[in-house]
Amino acid sequence: MDYRHKTIKELKQDLIDEKTTSEELFKEANELAHKYQDEYNSFVTIIDKYKKRAKNDSMINGIPYAIKDNFSTSNILTTASSNILKDYIPVYDATVYKKLKINGGVLVGKTTLDELAMGGTGTTAHTGVVKNPWDKKRLIGGSSAGSASAVSLGIVPFSIGSDTGDSIRKPASFGGIVGFKPTYGRISRYGLFAFASSLDHVGCFTRNVEDAAIVTDILKGHDPLDMTTLKDEDIKYSEHLDDDIKGKKLFYIKEICNIEGYEDENIKKTFKEFYKLVDKLKEEGFIVEEVSFDENLLNAIYPTYMTISCAEATSNNANLTGIQFGPRPKGDSIDEIMFNARTEGFSELIKRRFILGSYILQKENQDKLFLNACRIRRLIVDKMNELFKEYDGLILPASGSFAPTFDASSERLNPKATVLENHMAIANFGGFPSITLPMYYNNNLPVGINLTGKVRDDKTVLNMAKKIEDIVNLKNKVAGDENV
Amino acid sequence: MIEKEKLKEYAHKLMFDMDEEEYQTLQEEFDVILEQMELIEKIPNIKEVEPMTFPFPLEEAALREDEIGDYLTVDEVLSNVKHQVRDQVKVPKVVE
Repeated sequence: MDYRHKTIKELKQDLIDEKTTSEELFKEANELAHKYQDEYNSFVTIIDKYKKRAKNDSMINGIPYAIKDNFSTSNILTTASSNILKDYIPVYDATVYKKLKINGGVLVGKTTLDELAMGGTGTTAHTGVVKNPWDKKRLIGGSSAGSASAVSLGIVPFSIGSDTGDSIRKPASFGGIVGFKPTYGRISRYGLFAFASSLDHVGCFTRNVEDAAIVTDILKGHDPLDMTTLKDEDIKYSEHLDDDIKGKKLFYIKEICNIEGYEDENIKKTFKEFYKLVDKLKEEGFIVEEVSFDENLLNAIYPTYMTISCAEATSNNANLTGIQFGPRPKGDSIDEIMFNARTEGFSELIKRRFILGSYILQKENQDKLFLNACRIRRLIVDKMNELFKEYDGLILPASGSFAPTFDASSERLNPKATVLENHMAIANFGGFPSITLPMYYNNNLPVGINLTGKVRDDKTVLNMAKKIEDIVNLKNKVAGDENV
Repeated sequence: MIEKEKLKEYAHKLMFDMDEEEYQTLQEEFDVILEQMELIEKIPNIKEVEPMTFPFPLEEAALREDEIGDYLTVDEVLSNVKHQVRDQVKVPKVVE
């Protein structure tokens, strides 16, 4: 089997058996990164020099990986894919990067994202659009676009991303890979450039569930530098993947899964596949039930997400001034310098989101919009927690269909489709662990299934996801594979 | 429709500007956004709900002890500053 298709475990075994060396793996990954760069634009920075690493027994020791360009990496350019940070070289390491270094992971590159992680298409980076490895006419989704495409192309077996609304789990769906964000606080956010702090999560992309568990085992844990991190758990998720799932209870939301509500034939096809999967899950011992969810709350998911995230983002990005770092444009006063730096440094899309955030935070709108959104967030999360008293997980298609084309009509989605495309933000509202994995291929284009579980119960989510993966049998695919 | 001047005011409060064409596009989009926002107000008895600003109660969260931890050197702090003088960030005069 070639490098591109290998799992972390297989690569690790090759290293132990001395069939290859870490330097050879790095060279292979580096060559692939360059080979695909012009076509897909996965990276902002490709590392060309192999660095000697700490040697230890870690599962990722000597294994190549990539990390999103909104994680602070000392002495390595970190742009957040924005012009305002295009020359920024951090002086400190994000905790996740530090952990990856200590474990001996081999960094291959910093990946492209939607500018400042504020977008879901992978089309707004200052270095250009990221293309879908399964079809270059299509987007891969965002904001962790490059991290998804690098894994989907087989450049690296795993990569790190961040997820505020579905920024790991949606591109995983469009890329035919696994995307996992654990419980809020399970992995430190220290050194991740904040977008919306109460919704931001760190997570990973892999090509199978076991690798996601291996990477999460390494990254999780309390961090004194992030007071929102959870206490350490004395368990390894990767050792519980084959626990018996018999009797585990899943639910899906009736109002989202009603095929009759959709006109698009591809969405209908997705739900036919979804119901086939539900039947198979039942045969394998899961209990799966349909549950009704207040439609007003479902319709409010997207505006609630936009309101909270844009409001938090306007505040979090106030540090981008051009004074301490970033470009220093001309100006006769500090205010003028900041004004010019931000005017020149942010793209139009980011500015639009900031203006929306500014509008939401105006005194006259705070209660009507911002606080009401926070109230709806509570209603949605309370409802989910009530359901999680009875069920172990929520299962839904991660997207209605495969990735859209770049020139897809921007006509407004009907309200039902809007809910279908944005429901994964629920897991950010409540900090629930949530994973996307491949469900089926439609004309050789992947569509994912999403599973969301109880807060702090990452172990069960990964355990159930592994079982679903066994049933679906589409793991370890690399873009271009046939017969999928 | 929201006034373009209002949008400019919001942008200027966040210390940036856009060109006229961009404001025009945003003005048109804003109606759609506001319509979406109305969905937020459709929930009955919403005012009785306590706003949620964090995903779940985090009992273990505690402020750290007020002790000196790792810190950056002056050189590190200034390493990304484009204009500096005598270990300080240089900016235009603020006092006449």
